[in-house]
Amino acid sequence: MSEAESLWYSGTWIDRVPQWVSITFFGLSFLGVWWFVAGMEFVSPVLLPGPGETFSELWDVTQNIFSGGHIAEALWITSQEVFWGFLAAAVSGFVLGVVVGETRLGQRAIMPYLVALNALPKVAFAPVFVAWFGFGVNSKIVMAMFIAFFPVIVDTAAGLASTDSDALMLFESMESSRWQTLRQLKLPSALPFIFAGLKTAAVFSVVGAVVGEYLGGGKGLGELIRLSAQTLRIDRVFAMIVYLGVIGILLFGVVAWTERKLLFWQESEIFEIQGTG
Amino acid sequence: MAESADALLRAGQQSRPNGDEVVTISNLSKTFHKRGLTALEGVDVTLRHGTFTSVIGPSGCGKSTLLKIMAGLIPATMGEVLLNGQPVTGPRKDIGIMFQQPTLLPWRTALENVLLPIEIRSGAAAAEGASDRGRELLDLVGLEGFDHVHPFELSGGMAQRVAICRMLVTGPAILLLDEPFGALDELTREYMNFELQRICLGRDATSFMVTHAIPEAVFLGDEVLVMSARPGRIAEIVDVDLPRPRTLDMMTTPEFASLVRHVRHRLDELGAIA
Repeated sequence: MSEAESLWYSGTWIDRVPQWVSITFFGLSFLGVWWFVAGMEFVSPVLLPGPGETFSELWDVTQNIFSGGHIAEALWITSQEVFWGFLAAAVSGFVLGVVVGETRLGQRAIMPYLVALNALPKVAFAPVFVAWFGFGVNSKIVMAMFIAFFPVIVDTAAGLASTDSDALMLFESMESSRWQTLRQLKLPSALPFIFAGLKTAAVFSVVGAVVGEYLGGGKGLGELIRLSAQTLRIDRVFAMIVYLGVIGILLFGVVAWTERKLLFWQESEIFEIQGTG
Repeated sequence: MAESADALLRAGQQSRPNGDEVVTISNLSKTFHKRGLTALEGVDVTLRHGTFTSVIGPSGCGKSTLLKIMAGLIPATMGEVLLNGQPVTGPRKDIGIMFQQPTLLPWRTALENVLLPIEIRSGAAAAEGASDRGRELLDLVGLEGFDHVHPFELSGGMAQRVAICRMLVTGPAILLLDEPFGALDELTREYMNFELQRICLGRDATSFMVTHAIPEAVFLGDEVLVMSARPGRIAEIVDVDLPRPRTLDMMTTPEFASLVRHVRHRLDELGAIA
């Protein structure tokens, strides 16, 4: 493409800048504003640590984690809660989603309850789960699962319902049994929807585990964050939130990577904007 | 190679003399009670072996409904469809069907898509055993070496060829085509019509095609059924007396033009052209 052409085709000036430049620029601007606001001490440095303090604390936390300190233990506990919560949400959400999407009973009798339940503030159930399952990891796993499994159900059911009508007619013309149609047509067609639900669930399961820890104690990162906030160690809070983010991004990344490998026939970007959840 | 494929295809179906009745539809009616709509009323159709019948009519004339009843996908309210003497009461192995969209499964290769009807009816082992037949069908439609290609790598015309193979793989006695090339661009569509004619002539297929395009209906058909709407009836059966195989040159002859004009006038009288 000649220079004249590239000028013609390019949109605004932001399209002409390489994306890594704009990402870096925006990140540095944010740090600059943060540094300025914290440095001017508009608010107490105790409440708003500057980028310098935060990064040095992040370094301390990282050292603690890699030397197997108490934060590493907390990170490991929270990771397990997130993982098992996500797995339970994925399996139960998928099974319920198939029941709801595939049976008339599910569509007519079960789905309305799920929609109503989904509209409730699910975080409000945290104390109930603590009462039922104690202060250990179990109540956090249940909380993570409870928050994460609705998007999987809804997306699985929606995916099954979205099967192309011509393809359904084709399977009917081949005298396909209901099970064959489900296995050979409807489930594979629903996979993009199911993965959208799983990606939402990956993010939600971190929320569930942390909320469970905030309200139900335990020995995870959420509990450490709560304690640090109580002693006004906001820099440490920030540093540990970064590691919560790492858990979420890793889980999300594994799901997104699996989707790309499995759904080779469709184009998808890992960081596409999600419409569900 | 094409000859052996043709021979193989012929072997797959009953050999019977041209002209025998394959499909007989008598006094067929269809009412959709929920909508209080009479889609078809008193439809009589006879399809003879080795003939190609085009169906044209205004939208809402029930031509797609008729095709679905013939395929055993929906029941008739009155009357019946006889295929090789047996009433059609549901989907059957000896009925081949094809839609406007190729409806290939994107996670299966071209060959696996072709073998799908066998896999669904007789299991994976039977499909595996029929892979030579599937490959020869792909050769027949000009897709040699495409057996392991996935649908997203195929053009629209190529995908419809795979759909043709999938329709043919069980050796059906009747081919039901619901606007098979309606979603393709004009040039590809014209080319695919030639291909379809070649394939149908090669295996003495009995075909029934719903279309919206008058020249296409005349070009492919031995008969053109002109339908009227609300209720759907066969208004006229136009015989197309052009020799086979039809060629591009034939489409510029006065005979072809007058047949097209005749069908268009009939549709105009029926209020199909606004």
